[in-house]
Amino acid sequence: MSLLSLSNLTIRYGRLTAVRNVAFTLAEGEILFITGPNGAGKSSLLRAIAGVTPPAGGRIDFADHDITGRAPEDIARLGVSMVPEGREVFGSLTIEENLTVGTGMHAGEHGWRGRAADALEEIYATFPILKERRHTQAGLLSGGQQQMLVIGRALMTNPRLIAIDEPSLGLAPNITDQVYERLIALRAHRKLTLLIVEQSSTRAMMVGGRMILMRGGEVLLDGDARAMGQSEAMQAAYFGYGDH
Amino acid sequence: MAPRTQRRSVALRTISTPLILAALLVAFALVAWASGSRPFNQTVIDIFLQVIFVVGLYVFVGNSGVISFGHIAFACLGGYVAAWTTIKPMMKGISMPGLPDWLMQLEIPFWAAALAGGAFAAFWALVFGAVLMRLSGIAASIATFAMLAMVNSIYSNWESVTAATSSVVGIPILRVLWPYLVAAILAVFAAWAYSISRHGLALRAARDEPTAAAASGIDIPRARLIAFVISGAIMGAGGALYAHSIGLVTPDTYYLGLTFTTLSMLVVGGMSSLSGAVLGVLILSSLIQALRWLEAGIDIGTTTFALPGGVQEIALGVVMIAILMFRPAGIMGNKELTWPTGRGNDKPGEPGETN
Repeated sequence: MSLLSLSNLTIRYGRLTAVRNVAFTLAEGEILFITGPNGAGKSSLLRAIAGVTPPAGGRIDFADHDITGRAPEDIARLGVSMVPEGREVFGSLTIEENLTVGTGMHAGEHGWRGRAADALEEIYATFPILKERRHTQAGLLSGGQQQMLVIGRALMTNPRLIAIDEPSLGLAPNITDQVYERLIALRAHRKLTLLIVEQSSTRAMMVGGRMILMRGGEVLLDGDARAMGQSEAMQAAYFGYGDH
Repeated sequence: MAPRTQRRSVALRTISTPLILAALLVAFALVAWASGSRPFNQTVIDIFLQVIFVVGLYVFVGNSGVISFGHIAFACLGGYVAAWTTIKPMMKGISMPGLPDWLMQLEIPFWAAALAGGAFAAFWALVFGAVLMRLSGIAASIATFAMLAMVNSIYSNWESVTAATSSVVGIPILRVLWPYLVAAILAVFAAWAYSISRHGLALRAARDEPTAAAASGIDIPRARLIAFVISGAIMGAGGALYAHSIGLVTPDTYYLGLTFTTLSMLVVGGMSSLSGAVLGVLILSSLIQALRWLEAGIDIGTTTFALPGGVQEIALGVVMIAILMFRPAGIMGNKELTWPTGRGNDKPGEPGETN
């Protein structure tokens, strides 16, 4: 059964079409990389799924709900957690406040405080550095720590799907390795579905899983990341010289 | 860690802020009491009222990051509730003949009038806020200003219930200090409790990063509305007490003058800090008072030294410019006053990583 399904999705900013007729489905537990050069429409796609940018056309379904054009907080409540590009931590809040802020949306449900506390302990176990500095203002953290914090924050609401926009952006390669290591471990442990946007396809080929290659707002290729890495079509998509 | 204890630990970790601020206010009250001077007593009452207004403003502006020019309208609503409910029925009949009978006969104590003023203002904050909180940034600020102008023009023209622009006199005057002190301390604790609550947390997150906040499941207009109503209630109660401190109300008591003094005190103190809100009032008010004394003249032996009139406004302007030049985020920035903990866990991020 598919957890997320997009059909004929089109996103426009004024007269500019950022995403054109994109369709794919994502099964529960799958890991999907969306890659492609600058301006391919990857981030727009993610923002549309999270409800931040309403699509101009098409339809998005998540867990048997039509979420097209729904408010971001409603979509988050259904179990989609987005990690926006550029590590948007709540800079003036402490680490612990950053982590607990999202759990408020389940307030009033039976036992929500207990679940929130359990989730917090689990995240502290995964990212010990966050526990160590729990009362530090998030704006004072280093880039890698902020990335771990936003991933932790996305996990706090026990989502079924995590959509992450460029987790490696601006991080040193060894820090990126650490971030990915935790992500993969979390996925196995929690049966999470992961949707990761990356500009470069190298990370997808290292990690494995499914990869969608976008360019100019359209899906060019969809398949196994490692197999795709060998193909010439891939080179063509990035550099546009497929005819040689 | 159990959730209840977690909540309590947040409260314990941050409670030093309202305690320190309350201690500062008590210190001001003690100085006024010890001096025994009546004008000075009145000055300190004014300071406490400003604290209530600026703290009320902070609850919304500080936590949401949206500047409001309209909060004094809530003080106006509260002030007139005090006039409607505490003036002797006979006098009300003369100045405000259009009041409904039950309100005409009503005569309640000042504290009940303050509560009623707070509730009335909170109700209108809910009505206005339901519409205004969908706006962001400068559009929201302009709309709040329109709300201020609207309330002012209604109260300036609805002659039968507000006596239009003439003063409504006969509100029992309260010259003792302690009710104002208690109210200011209550306002500080209310603001603190809101700010550490999950609603306050959600709103501060939305102030820092609206997109990420929405993606974390925060309903931003709703979070703003909650703050708007709470701050409206504080402003309304403050407005009622203000009416009791001077014994009369006019619509222009609660208009541009008060709007800009309270806003500038908040900006100078540090917009997103409760300590900043209180310190902004205490520092600027003390400065204004000191300059007033100097203008009135100080006797040294047989000579009187006095500054020329008007220096007060100029010096105040210069000080505010200087503070904002050297501390653009206000005296406190977004920090709060706390006991020194010495845990040292607030170091900046480790160097060596590419950001």
